Formats: sequence, C-alpha cells, structure tokens
Amino acid sequence: MRTSKIKGRRTKNIFPRQLPLYIGPISVWVILFVLAPLGIILYFSFLKAGPLGEVIQNFTLENYRAIVAGKYGIIFLRTFLYAFLANFFCLIIGYPLAYWIAKYGGRWKTFLMSLVIIPSWTCYLIRLYAFKTLTGRTGLINSFLLNLNLISSPLKILYTPYAVMIGLVYSWLPFMILPLYASLEGLDPTLLEAAADLGATPLERFFKVTLPLTKGGMIAGTILVFIPSLGEWLVPHLLGGAKVMMVGSLVAHKFIQLGNIPAGASLALFLAAIVILILYLFIKLGGEEALERML
Amino acid sequence: MSLENKAPKFFVVISVLVYIFLWAPVVILILFSFSSNKFGIKWEHFTLKWYLELLDNVAVKDALTRSLIIASVTVVVSTALGTLTAYGLYKLKFAGKKILRASILLPIVIPYVVTGASLLVFFTRVIHIPLGYPSIIIAHITFSTPLAVFVILGRMQRIDWSWEEAAMDLGANRITAFTKVVGPLLLPGIAASAMLIFPWSFDDFVITYFVTGVGSTTLPIYVFSQLRYGATPVINTIGTIFIAVTIVPLVLSSLMQKK
Repeated sequence: MRTSKIKGRRTKNIFPRQLPLYIGPISVWVILFVLAPLGIILYFSFLKAGPLGEVIQNFTLENYRAIVAGKYGIIFLRTFLYAFLANFFCLIIGYPLAYWIAKYGGRWKTFLMSLVIIPSWTCYLIRLYAFKTLTGRTGLINSFLLNLNLISSPLKILYTPYAVMIGLVYSWLPFMILPLYASLEGLDPTLLEAAADLGATPLERFFKVTLPLTKGGMIAGTILVFIPSLGEWLVPHLLGGAKVMMVGSLVAHKFIQLGNIPAGASLALFLAAIVILILYLFIKLGGEEALERML
Repeated sequence: MSLENKAPKFFVVISVLVYIFLWAPVVILILFSFSSNKFGIKWEHFTLKWYLELLDNVAVKDALTRSLIIASVTVVVSTALGTLTAYGLYKLKFAGKKILRASILLPIVIPYVVTGASLLVFFTRVIHIPLGYPSIIIAHITFSTPLAVFVILGRMQRIDWSWEEAAMDLGANRITAFTKVVGPLLLPGIAASAMLIFPWSFDDFVITYFVTGVGSTTLPIYVFSQLRYGATPVINTIGTIFIAVTIVPLVLSSLMQKK
C-alpha cells in the first residue's frame, strides 16, 4: 500500500520536468527520420515526374488514380496470393514442428528452438543466395535428381512463382514457429487431461482443445509472416526475376531503376497503408497478447 | 503438456524435414566455402585457399571495415537512445504515448522498401546529406532503435523497482540511482539488445541499398553486387563469415537474457 502511494507521487512529480529528458531525443529522432521522410514522400506522391526523372511541382491525383484503376492490379493480386499461400504453408508445416518441440522436446526444447531461430538471424541476402544456388539449373537439387536418373533434364525451379513462394516460406517460417511454440507452451496440460478423462480421442483433443486455445499464436505468427511477405522485395527480385514481380519489387523498381519518385512514392504509401490496416485488424483479432507472450 | 511420451512418426518426419529445409542452404554454403571447385557449387576437395584469397581482396576488406564501423556506431547510439526511451516510456505517463510507441515501431512495421525509399528521398531532396556514412548510419539507427526500446522495456517489466526506491529514500538522486542500482539491474537487457542490434545492422541489405552512395559499399551490398556473376567461392566464404558473425552475438545474447 505504502510503496504504491510513493510510486504514484513520484510518477506525478517527474511528469512535467523530466519528460523532455527521456522522451525528447527519441521524439526528435522519430519526427526527423521517420515521420518527416514519410511526409515528404506523401507530398511527392501528389506530384508528377518529368521525362528526365525530375519532379514537376503540379498537384495531381494521377498516381493514385493509376493504382486504384488497376494499372498494377495483377501485381497486387499476385502479392496477396503469394503472401497468403506463404503464410498458409508456414502454418501447416510450422504447427507440427512447434507442437512436436512443445510436447516431446523435453530438456532439448531450448536447443531445438534455437535451431529454428538461428538461421533466421543470419544474413537474409546470404541465405537467399544459398537457396538460389541450391535450386538453380546446375544447382545441387538438379544435379542430385539427374544423377539418380529421376529426371532427364534439369527442373526449372528458379525464376518461377514456385521459387518465390518457397523462398518466402524459407525466409519467414521461423517467425511462424516462434509464436506457435510460445502459445503451445502456455497451454494448460490439465485441460487436455480433463478432455481425455471425459472420453475425448486424441484427434478430438487436438481439434477441440489445443487448436482453439492456440488461435492467438496462429494470429501472431500470421502477423510476423503475412505482413512482411506483403512488402517483400528481395525474394521476388532474386528468385523470381523480372517476371514474378511483387508490389515491393515494383516500388524498388520505380525508385531505383526508373527514378520516378512520384509513382514510387504513391505505390509505397499505398502498400504501407494496406500493411498497417491489415496489421491493425490482426491485432484487434487478438494477436497482441500472443505477441507479447512471445517476448 | 504430455499425455503420451513417444511422438507419432508423422511429427518426427515433418520436423526433420523442416530442419533440413531451414539448414540445408546454410550448411551447403559453409561446406562449399572449403571446396576447391572454382564455381563454388560442387564438392572437390578441402581447401582454405578462398579464405586466403579473401585476405588479399581489398574491396571485401574495405566493405567489411565499413560494415563493422556502421554496426558499432549503430549499436552504441541505438542502445543509449533505446535505454533512455524505455526508461521514459516505463516511468512516465504522458499524452501521446501510444502514438509515440507506434511511431518508434513504424520503420520496421512498414515494408523495408518504403522505409528505405522514404529516407532516400528525404536525404537527397530535402536535407541534402551525402549518401555514405551519414545516411547509412542514420538509417541503421532508425531501424535498430525500436529493437533496443522494446528489448530493454521487456527487461524493465521484470526487474524489482523497489531497489530504486530504496536508493532514493537513502538519499541518492535519480542519476546516481540509475548508475548504481537500476543500470546494473538492466544490464542483461541492455547487453542483449546490443547483441541483437549488431547482426541486425551488420546484415541489413534492403534499407542500406536505398541510402548507400557510390563508394560506400557495405558487406551485404558488396555480396549483392557480386551475385550477377553467379555463385563464386568468394560469396561462400563471406557468407560463412556472416553466419559466424551472426551466431556468436546471438548465442551470447540468449545467455544474457536468461540471467
């Protein structure tokens, strides 16, 4: 009782005086290097690009009209489809692994989970490159299959939609497994025992107890896989080539290759808005608590 | 949660396949960095010659030095800024706290291409700073600080704040209380955030690619520029070094968070 009173008094006391000291630096940083840059591209997104990459100071809604009218419709659809499928596959292969570690891992749990996490922290570019050399025409998978006479000519995996999708799963799978594992670990075992005592078969226990109770973990995993997949650039760029573009590659292409800032800016902001909207919906659905449990 | 003790075969098979899927590219990369085949995609016999060649590669050494400098500066600034911010977020109640938290996270929530492109436009069209060390370091601090803030905030929620109260009741001012009591209690969290930020910054490719200038190649940018020549032993060796640089701080960080 007493301590809480003191704490309350102190919290109140330092509120006006010390706020700038602790929060000032980050506020300045965020305003300068997060909000201002986004504000600037918002401004540029309403302008027009000249033929030489210069920006013409004329207000126009043309960039957004082009997006809404479906100029890039196929790329947006493809992005959603790939992100959705990548998320789906991460879920169906990540769940059994998380389940296996949580249930049968015993004293190896931490070790088994670090084996999942470590690859995701090694340079993303290097891992995609390694993946690319494995799946290429003369890569290990093709030479292996050719040597076994299972195929007569090399399989074309690289630069197909399959390569992009497998690449997305490969990149983001650990981020699905992590929250799934956390929610499976947090599951109260007595609930399963109760279900068993009441006569539920193992399958019933899984579908009626375990699965509904780990919904939060599945949503959190979806936040960590679906959201970054939507904005992915490197995976389609390296594994898909020019044919299998996603919105992220389109943004990078407009900015870097074409130097068309207004078109790039409008696409970038449109993409960011979609991502934030979806994130908000998932958090409302109950992903927040599961994300916090994971930390 | 254990009702049965032996895992059904289905789970074992899937789990093993997932581990192979996650690790095969990495393991093969490391293996081939020791192979004498000059295309870097076949095993011939063991050699260290690619590593020795790396020692003479000026471009690689240059990029490595630059990456190390950038990551070190980023770690120091982000961790300091993150500690200060986490302390403020934990201790103070103020209007707009939620907005501030969301804005701190924004650079890593929105797609990296958007963060990178917006910084590029801001640097070149508005504040006109040179693309190189200044732009790369600012970008790295911007996407690393969120990590520091939330890792340290997590630690703050777990420590016993009555120690700080005791120190202050005994006459310590807030700064002394921080350096003598709260700081040491937070140290595992601060160290863990530094260990996470180092590889986070060292590995970044996408955002750096946008804000880098001519002649300021970081190691990932160098690797990317070499990719058009296909697989080369040089990339395999650099990749192996990357994996080592990443795994060591990661293991240290997880050991520290356990304390």
